[in-house]
Amino acid sequence: MLVMKNINKIFQTADIQTHALRDFNLTVNEGDFLSVTGPSGSGKTTFLNIAGLLETYTNGEFTLDGEDVGKLNDNGRSRMRNQKIGFIFQSFNLIPDLNLFDNVDVPLRYRGFDAKERKRRIEENLERVGLASRMKHLPSQLSGGQQQRVAIARALATDPRFLLADEPTGNLDSEMAQGVMSLLEEINQQGTTIIMVTHDAILAERASRTIQVKDGRVSELEIFTQQAIA
Amino acid sequence: MFSYYLKIAWISIIRHWGLSLLMICAIGLGIGAAMTTVTVNYLMSSDPIPHKSKQLYNVQLDSWDVNDPFNDGLSPPTQMTFTDSTNLMKAKKAFRQNVQSQASGVIESNDPEILPMSVNGRANSADFFTMFDVPFIYGSGWSHLADENKELVIVLNKETNDKLFGGENSVGKSLRLDGNMFKVIGVIDQWEPKPRFYDISTGAFNDSEDFFVPFNLIAEEKIGRSGNTNCWKPVGDGYAAFLASECVWTQFWVELKTEQDKQDYLAFLNAYVEEQKEFGRFARPLDNRLSNVMQWLEDQEVVADDAKMMMAMSFMFLIVCLLNTVGLLLAKFLGKAPEIGLRQALGASKSTLFSQYIIESACIGLAGGLLGIALAYLGLKGVESLYGDYMQGLASLDSTMMMFALVLSLVSTILSGLYPTWRACNIQPAQQLKSQ
Repeated sequence: MLVMKNINKIFQTADIQTHALRDFNLTVNEGDFLSVTGPSGSGKTTFLNIAGLLETYTNGEFTLDGEDVGKLNDNGRSRMRNQKIGFIFQSFNLIPDLNLFDNVDVPLRYRGFDAKERKRRIEENLERVGLASRMKHLPSQLSGGQQQRVAIARALATDPRFLLADEPTGNLDSEMAQGVMSLLEEINQQGTTIIMVTHDAILAERASRTIQVKDGRVSELEIFTQQAIA
Repeated sequence: MFSYYLKIAWISIIRHWGLSLLMICAIGLGIGAAMTTVTVNYLMSSDPIPHKSKQLYNVQLDSWDVNDPFNDGLSPPTQMTFTDSTNLMKAKKAFRQNVQSQASGVIESNDPEILPMSVNGRANSADFFTMFDVPFIYGSGWSHLADENKELVIVLNKETNDKLFGGENSVGKSLRLDGNMFKVIGVIDQWEPKPRFYDISTGAFNDSEDFFVPFNLIAEEKIGRSGNTNCWKPVGDGYAAFLASECVWTQFWVELKTEQDKQDYLAFLNAYVEEQKEFGRFARPLDNRLSNVMQWLEDQEVVADDAKMMMAMSFMFLIVCLLNTVGLLLAKFLGKAPEIGLRQALGASKSTLFSQYIIESACIGLAGGLLGIALAYLGLKGVESLYGDYMQGLASLDSTMMMFALVLSLVSTILSGLYPTWRACNIQPAQQLKSQ
């Protein structure tokens, strides 16, 4: 469970203060598929970075699985990212120098799994995204959709409880985007909580719950769940 | 994780081979230049007889002119008069003692096919061989009795024995030296102490001698004396007058086992000089010195100032190379900011990333060190060809120096990598992930 209470994030430069998030309140339950929409500069990505422990917040309360994130040091945050959170990015963010096997291996190394376990997880997850036969290929030898599938395999390899996706289909054509969305739905159905930032209203509607972020706040009126509508 | 870091470092070095090569070359050049001069200095200043250098003492007596002191009064003469050295020898107050001088002559073999050879040698006392641990292939040195009886005996070095006797055991055979028949009683093995501590008056890094004969034969004019001679008083006519003069041309060494022995010997020297003062000699204040091997080499500044200066300059060059490496590492690591951000997102802590990039720096340093050793080898060969025989034996990399080169390279590259690595580890992942 992810709970944010009155989270503020202020970016400070010499002359300017920018409020990226203002009294941001949100609870994400286990098994949710939450889509986050909103105009550019509204604070969606800042929210996702804070949720993924990639960025600190200025004040407020943030608990992830009952643990107060504000009290974690760098090692604690890294450990929590590695154990509980998987990331999918718009630009895939694969390491170009490493082949698919080694790319998926990265978070497993930081988790400290032994070689046999790592191999099992890498093969299993590349199989899951349909790329087991290409594990020795470099990312540059794959299409955009395939690269995103590798990124998903990498995100899933550590069995995260939360999958954070920032515009996961933003760089894909519609056919590839549909494929990736189907994969995310399948993952969600298997119990992983997904938080997806997207500009695409049609894709957002496929989530079980959608919020809109505007001026750094959750726009309460637009919070709904598909279940409630149903 | 160490093997993983090594693997990642290897991939990174290969993928960015141009940048990596630049860094390796920069480090290699710096290490190569530094190691060339460090090796020369190291060999120049190394202990040539480490197991007993603290028991061997060069003896100095200040017999010089009261009105024009030797070395402006800073130290007594570096050599001794024939009178004093023979007096000290006769006193036999040390555990072992040796008087010596450089000698030279022409050796004629009994084999008519071998042409006469002009050779450099040493006239010394019997204790020379045991004091300085001279290794023998055949036979041994001569006895004290042979010294006293002024026997015409000779010890050859290996090279001379090879030339004259084809490397066979020549003990018992005879040869002619400066017209006198000498009996070979020993052949020494390869023996080239660097520095040649026992006589630096004719060059601390010259080759060892071709032959050794009893010192007393010089007084008998059975062998020609050579080497440096310094006089402050007019010398009378004839060889006997020269031997009785205040000219210094002999070197005197003693072996003393304990500190007490040293103090006792110094007291003896002081008493000897006081006695000589009664004969009108030693007008200057008492300044008798016993210097062990390393003190002696240091006092005589065996490591030349220009060699030290060269070493300092080469280290400055190394620093310039390392500063370049800092810049290149910074460029490389900051160029990897998106990957660093990603690794942080996937669970790498700052300490993990720090280890990874320091190991990559160390790998570059190691490669630079290996290149540096190769360049140092070439540099030393260049020094050797430039200075010829003088640098023979001084221009070679031993295992200690190779290890030092690698450690120096590793440590300096790791130090160079600290700032770039620190910068890389403090990259904000969120910004990098978005910008990729």
